Amino acid sequence: MPATFDEQRRSRVRIVDILLAILVTVGILAYILDVLALRWGLSTAYIGRSYPNYLKAAWISLYVTTIAYFIGMGIGFVLGWARSVRTLPLARVMAARRREAVAAADGGSPGAGLFLGTLLVYGIKYYVRRTADAYVAIIRGTPLFVQIVFVWSAVLVFYPRLDPLVQGLLAGVIALTANTGGYQSEIFRAGIQTVHSGQVEAGRAIGLSRWGAMRYIVLPQAVRLVIPPLTNEYIGLLKASSLLAVVGSVPELTTFGRSEAFQTFHIFEAFALVVGIYLLITVPVSKVVEWIERRYRIPGLGIQAPRTARV
Amino acid sequence: MATTVAVPTRSSALRVRVSKTAIRGAEMAVGTILVILILQTVLRFNLLDEDLWKLYLPSFLDGIVLSLRYLGIILPLSVVIGFTIGWARISRFRTLSWPLSVFVDFFRGVPPIIVVIFAAVLGPSLLPARFQSQDIGIIIAALTLAMHSGAYQSEIFRAGFMSVPRGQLEAAQSLGMTNGAAMRFVVLPQALRLSIPPLANEFAVVIKDTSLLAIVGGFELFGSSFIFEQQILFSPGNQLSWIFVVWTAVALVYFVMTFAVTELLNAIDRRYHVKGLEAVTV
Amino acid sequence: MIRVEELEKHFGALHVLKGVSLEVQKGEVLVIIGPSGSGKSTLLRCINLLIEPDSGRVFLDGTQVNRRDIRPEWVRQQVGMVFQSFNLFAHLTALQNVTLGPIRVLGTDPTTAGAQGRKLLARVGLADKADAYPAQLSGGQQQRVAIARALAMNPKAMLFDEPTSALDPEYIREVLDAMAALARDGMTMIVVTHEMGFASEVAKRILFMDAGRIIEEGSPEEIFHSPKQERTRMFVGKILR
Ligand SMILES: Nc1ncnc2c1ncn2[C@@H]1O[C@H](COP(=O)(O)OP(=O)(O)OP(=O)(O)O)[C@@H](O)[C@H]1O
Ligand SMILES: [Mg+2]
Repeated sequence: MPATFDEQRRSRVRIVDILLAILVTVGILAYILDVLALRWGLSTAYIGRSYPNYLKAAWISLYVTTIAYFIGMGIGFVLGWARSVRTLPLARVMAARRREAVAAADGGSPGAGLFLGTLLVYGIKYYVRRTADAYVAIIRGTPLFVQIVFVWSAVLVFYPRLDPLVQGLLAGVIALTANTGGYQSEIFRAGIQTVHSGQVEAGRAIGLSRWGAMRYIVLPQAVRLVIPPLTNEYIGLLKASSLLAVVGSVPELTTFGRSEAFQTFHIFEAFALVVGIYLLITVPVSKVVEWIERRYRIPGLGIQAPRTARV
Repeated sequence: MATTVAVPTRSSALRVRVSKTAIRGAEMAVGTILVILILQTVLRFNLLDEDLWKLYLPSFLDGIVLSLRYLGIILPLSVVIGFTIGWARISRFRTLSWPLSVFVDFFRGVPPIIVVIFAAVLGPSLLPARFQSQDIGIIIAALTLAMHSGAYQSEIFRAGFMSVPRGQLEAAQSLGMTNGAAMRFVVLPQALRLSIPPLANEFAVVIKDTSLLAIVGGFELFGSSFIFEQQILFSPGNQLSWIFVVWTAVALVYFVMTFAVTELLNAIDRRYHVKGLEAVTV
Repeated sequence: MIRVEELEKHFGALHVLKGVSLEVQKGEVLVIIGPSGSGKSTLLRCINLLIEPDSGRVFLDGTQVNRRDIRPEWVRQQVGMVFQSFNLFAHLTALQNVTLGPIRVLGTDPTTAGAQGRKLLARVGLADKADAYPAQLSGGQQQRVAIARALAMNPKAMLFDEPTSALDPEYIREVLDAMAALARDGMTMIVVTHEMGFASEVAKRILFMDAGRIIEEGSPEEIFHSPKQERTRMFVGKILR
């Protein structure tokens, strides 16, 4: 039950309960690890010997992720901004133009050029927005696996002479960038739309300049809104970078762990190392983000994290 | 939904909504065709290349069928896992909550592909000998995918439960309902409604995640196409542009599947949408 | 009808009820007033066993009901409750809110329950709102639906926990009128409220609670105009102003 009313009883049971919880958790984990270690052997010597190589592979993962993340942030911001522009219905825009034109021309007939211009601007805005929408729909609607292989194939077809590592890196970075760009645009769109509603006007109403309203009202809110989901997106992208394993020529953590596992047959150790490294990076960061979100949440202000890029 | 008090059928409203779905579908179709035309021009391929399809069609169709079969296992199972864990974690059984949070954090922190790869190898050794068989690795990998998504879904359901205000439960109890009845008739219907939109997202992810099974030899759509691509690449005389046809077609199928599932859930959401229910978060 | 003896309740280190005793006769209306945090809501929740008291006895029609062998659900069926924040079931229409209890708890068949529900909604003046969802109703309408919902269980007594304090002023009247009508029909009621007019008009007795104890008891006249205790005087002075 979400809320039970016998807090009293709960606190009495708490100590026993927590002890039991720890016991069960440790017990299950120990059982699984024990069975696996028994069956596959656990060579601490192997782990001690080769964990630096795993760390090196993790660096490659982080490296690829970081490059893609920041280029993707540019794409995401532009797309998000384009998608956050909500155009008024065309008829209303035209009516407003006509009133302005009539007022300006002092009763004279408004020029056709003005209308064509409005139509053009309106149309461009509309199609830019729809194109951005389509891009995001494609990124979100297809597996990252397919995106990577698609780009990789293109690289293979158009640059067949390149070194396989370079081919792989190129394909990987392009695909990951395109992918995270789509997901980050969702974050920026939500952030901009949330803050923009009436806040600038309100700021200007109390006498701030346009820049001042931006600086003191929009940005503080937008940054607060956008940073937690953006951090989650980095974590998501790091995990997504594991899909480069399908390319096989980029020795990032997953690829490396997989090849180690099947070449040295230290399968369990490889698994433990790879999983351990990922968890060591992802869990603390997402816990900190969760904590920050709880701690600094402004009541009534928040955006749904648009689910981090997964596959 | 188990509310016996029937939700009034707002038939006219429903008709408007159905046509809304139709409009979105049409829009998507036009957009997709446009994108394909652009891709074809830029990368110089022809999606309807007959020579290719003669070779590729069997593995394409087999791949789709296998994908759907995996989905048929993974999707329902992941919902069951996610719902159970989500519920258990808000229940007063603290004892359950801890191991479950370890489970959830594990699956949320590790890329699914790693879980799939190693589950296929290590997983069988957790089972007694009489379960061992040729495909056991892939089956376990598929189950692990369900657990992976279940971990995410448990957070969705948990959030759904937690956003039902405590007063609702209290009011139900004040009518003399048992905890179970209050849960079933008051909390659950609200929690489920609140969970539908994020579930739509998650289902799309599950559909895309099935492609991961390719890496351990589950030759669903992505896997069978990957094999086929290798054949194109390594048999001379084939047109390289065929690769693009293959991947465009694969992407299209995944796109249609995710679109269909999200639209379906969104339609359910609109059908059972209750004004004000999205705003009850305290 | 309802009798409470020596109720004690702690929330962790917080001692919220420090030996509260009271009695309400059949058909009587008892009003409880007191400053915020004095334990009024906790007292009401202990009476219908939404909260289990640490010690003390709750009697309903002469039977002690906070006993292991009596299901609290049964007690809550006998005693209706109306909350400050309405707590209407957000996913159900007004009529469904009213019929859920009879159908699910009493096992009434849906047609009968529906007919009864419509009657009850008419009784609180909401016959035309049967199919509206809570979010489509004003605060006053929601609270009246909540009263109908509690009445649908055919309770022996009703508890009201500040039923009007979450309402905009223009809606307070309609809810108080519904409650007064209920009192005239002979319902046994315990009402936590700071509506002086209502208390003077409808209640025979008023209890003043502070810091988990009942400080003073008397007729509305006595409590409002010639309180004996200093603390009552100060509190009454504040709310009368
Ligand atoms: N479930 C609970 N857990 C812990 N403390 C509680 C709980 N419910 C109430 N309290 C505390 O008990 C005290 C009395 O609360 P109660 O709600 O009974 O006061 P009240 O007289 O109804 O006040 P108000 O007029 O504000 O409604 C308060 O200090 C409150 O914080
Ligand atoms: Mg109170």
